[in-house]
Parts: sequence; C-alpha cells; structure tokens
Amino acid sequence: MGMTLGDWPPYRIFWSSAKFAFKALFSWLRPAMWLTQLLVLPLFQMAFFVYLSRFVNPTATGVAFIAVGNALQVASFSSIFAVCNLTSEEKWQGTLTPLIVTPASRFPLFVGRAMFQILNGMATIVVGFFYASMVFGVDMSRTDFLALAVVILVTCLAMTGFGLMLGSVGLYMRTAMIIANIFLFIGLLICGVNFPVTVLPTWLQPLSYAIPMTYGTIAARAAVQGSSVTELAPVILQEIGAGAGSIFVGYLLFLGFEALARRRGAFEEF
Amino acid sequence: MTKLQTFWGSFRMSLLHFFADPQWIIPNIIAPFIFTVVALVLFRNVSGSVALYAVLGGGMMGMWGNTLYGSGFALAFDRWNGTIEYVLATPSRLVWIIAGRSASNAVLGLVNALAIVAVVVLAYGSMFAVANPLLFLLALILTLASLSALGVVFCSAFLLSRSAQVMTNGLEMPIYVASGSMFPIALLPLWSHPLSLSLGPTWGIDAMRYAADTSYTGLGFGYWTDLLVLFASTIAYLAIGFWLFMVVEKKVRRDATLTEY
Repeated sequence: MGMTLGDWPPYRIFWSSAKFAFKALFSWLRPAMWLTQLLVLPLFQMAFFVYLSRFVNPTATGVAFIAVGNALQVASFSSIFAVCNLTSEEKWQGTLTPLIVTPASRFPLFVGRAMFQILNGMATIVVGFFYASMVFGVDMSRTDFLALAVVILVTCLAMTGFGLMLGSVGLYMRTAMIIANIFLFIGLLICGVNFPVTVLPTWLQPLSYAIPMTYGTIAARAAVQGSSVTELAPVILQEIGAGAGSIFVGYLLFLGFEALARRRGAFEEF
Repeated sequence: MTKLQTFWGSFRMSLLHFFADPQWIIPNIIAPFIFTVVALVLFRNVSGSVALYAVLGGGMMGMWGNTLYGSGFALAFDRWNGTIEYVLATPSRLVWIIAGRSASNAVLGLVNALAIVAVVVLAYGSMFAVANPLLFLLALILTLASLSALGVVFCSAFLLSRSAQVMTNGLEMPIYVASGSMFPIALLPLWSHPLSLSLGPTWGIDAMRYAADTSYTGLGFGYWTDLLVLFASTIAYLAIGFWLFMVVEKKVRRDATLTEY
C-alpha cells in the first residue's frame, strides 16, 4: 500500500491545525458577531478615509484611489492583527507549552492556524469592494474581475505570511498585541493605501516595498481600471516575492525565538 | 460617601494597573496617531484651518480610543483573570467601579490626545494655535466627561458578551466617522445627521474648534449651545449607563453567564 497525501505528516498537521483553529474561534465568537464585524469594519474604515478625502479633494479619482486602497487594506484585521496574535493567544489560553513540546513541524502547524484568516481576509476584501462600488461610487465597469480575484488571493496569502513573521515575536515577548496593532494601521500610512508611496520621505520607501500590501494596492487599482492578469504579472510576482520573503524570514525568526524562549523559560510569560 | 470611595478606589486601581504595564498605551494611541498623519498628508496642499480638523480630531480620537478599549477590556481582563466574580460579589455597585475605571481611562486618553497633538505639532511645525485657551480647556474637559459617560454605556453591553474585544474593534471607527472628528458632518449622508447629533463628542469637537479658531462656523449653533448640548448628552449617557448596568447586572447574575468566555 502506497502513502496517500492524507498520510503525509505536514499535510495532516496543516489540516488538523486549520480545523482546530476554526473550531476554537467559533467556540467563543458567535457567527452573528463575526458577520457583523465582517460587514461593519470595512464600511467605517472606508467611510472615514473617503470623507476625509472628499473634504479636501472631492474629485472622483481621489475618492476612488482611497476607496480601492482601503478596500484592500481592511484585510489587515485578519491577515495581520489576527495572525500576528496567534502565538500570544496560545500563551493566554495556556496551550502554547503543550503545543511547542509536540514533535510536529512548526511550519504546517502555524500556517494551518492562520488558514481561516486567509479566507476571512478575502471575504473582508470582497465586502470592501462591494462598498467601494455601491456606497462610495467607484466605477468598476472596466474592472478585470479575474485579475482582481488573483490580486485579492495573492494579497491575503502574502499578508498572512507577513503576519506570521510578526507573530513570531509573541513566542518570546509577553505579547505580540502591541506589534500587531502597529502593523495593523501602519499600512494606511506607508503602503500606498491613501496616497502614493512616492509622497513619503525617500528613506521610508524601502520599508513600504518590503510589505506585500504595497504591491497589492498598486495591482488592485490597475485591475479596477481594466488591467489583465498578464499585464499585472510583474507586480503580482513582486508581491509573491515579498510574501515568500516574509514567510522565510518569519520561519527563521520563529525558530530563533523558540530557542530563546526555551532557554529563558518565557513560554508562559504574559 | 461609599459610592465616591468606590469610584476613587476603582479609579486609582485602574491607573496603577496601567502604570504596571504602560506598553498598552501603544495600541490605543497608534490608530489616532496614524489617522492624524494620513489626514495631514492628504491636507498638505490645502490652506486654511483644515490642519485644525486633523490635529483636534486626532486628539479626540485618542481620548475615545482609550476610553473604548479601557471599558471593553476592563471587564474582559477580569473575565480572563478569573476576578470578575469577586468584583461583582463586593457590596459596592458595579456601575461605580466601572465609572471609576472609565474616568481613569478618559484621563489617560487625555495624555494620549496631548501626545498626539505634541508629536504632530513637532513634526509639522507650529500650525496649531488656540484662540481662546480657557474656553478650549472647558470644552476639552466636558468632552472627556462625555466620552467617559459613553464608555459606561457601552461597558454594560460588554458585561453581557464574551466578544467584548470584537465589539470594541467595531465601535472605534463608527464614532470617528459619525462625530465628524476630522471632517464636517455635513459631508455625511443626510439620514445619518440625527445619529451624529445624538453623540456628545460631535458637539465637543465642534466647541473645541470654535474655541481654537475664531473664524470657524461649524454646526452653526455657537460655542455655548454646543457646550449645553454636550453637558445634557453626558447626563443622558450617565442615566442610560446606570439604568443599563442595573438591568444587565441582574441578568448576568440570573443567567449565570458572567464567567463565560
């Protein structure tokens, strides 16, 4: 008898972790509350920046720039904030130590934990684009929806990688909540969400281009204006590169912080 | 006297908790600070008093963020730490304990607001001048009291739910938008104006703008009318908050849902 995919340990660990995280989330979060959050958060974040823009620059182009940027950035609540807090939440629940002593590979274990947040982030962006079109009047008549779907998928995957990288500090520090909050909102300033990255000081721009969201906002605006997947391929590839880089650095940081936390006995410090 | 003692004890305890781990000021301050900087970048090519909207709005958001998170997490932390039963079992009324915590969060929110204003003014030069500092201070104190009272109202709902932190995340932005913290509420859809006008902070920020800028026209009712409505709404929030706490406290005791999380 040959080994099936289901017997392959990383695959098994990934799905078991993903299912466990999903069940654990909805054991305390009522579906109605999750749905409310999904519908309310994008609306008010987009409204805040769209009205801010209308106050000083009421042109349709200015409003569309901000509405599309924020429609994509709202995924940060899932892909950055929730994912970054994964390690801290295990700590608060007292489950980090039993999890760490298992021989299971860390990579499928924590990527599995983040799986639902990838889907959650995609759903949030879809809701955001619905508001952009129906509430804030963004013209989507020329949109290449296949290209937009690819951008949404890649952005959520890449940003989740970025969130996992940030979350690795939660293994050693008392909480990753602080860093999660900083990076939840910093994208509004440096990722081309509300104004082009070129407006920022030159020394800050490399940081912008290290975050996958920056490429996501460029690609999403181009897709709304009708660019195809082929035309967007260079930007999407750069976004994939930034996401893969985050995952790689995140994995190394994770192993480093795990070793440090073992040595210092910091797994139960919170 | 007992009520005041409870209020003061809770106020003091809450401040001590904060100073034991002051890193928690960062999550409360980061969103208003970034929103203010984004607004200043968007306003960079516009002359006039728009910068005043950004800086004062950022300050108000700093106060609201701290009050809301303080109220939301005050009970959530008690739940997680297993201390909520003890808090409720004391003979002191829960609402006075929460009022003390809420007031302490509002005071810390003032520190947030000042920090945001200071950083923004330092980074962007001296664009922020207050025409009438005394009237400004009066409006600021009353706005702080109003935010604190609003925190008490929301906190009663947080006692009912295990999802306080989710509700907290969801309530931050709607108040920023509805109160016109950084833009005139006239820009919002007409149907939403009654909601905006029912919020104390809307009148508070309007009064602060009147005091800061003599050429400001705002809602059009004038500084003292703004202050009167702000005061009346604060009393109304407190009355609603106290009544809600009575109802909610009874309900969680009866249903035994206090420690569910």
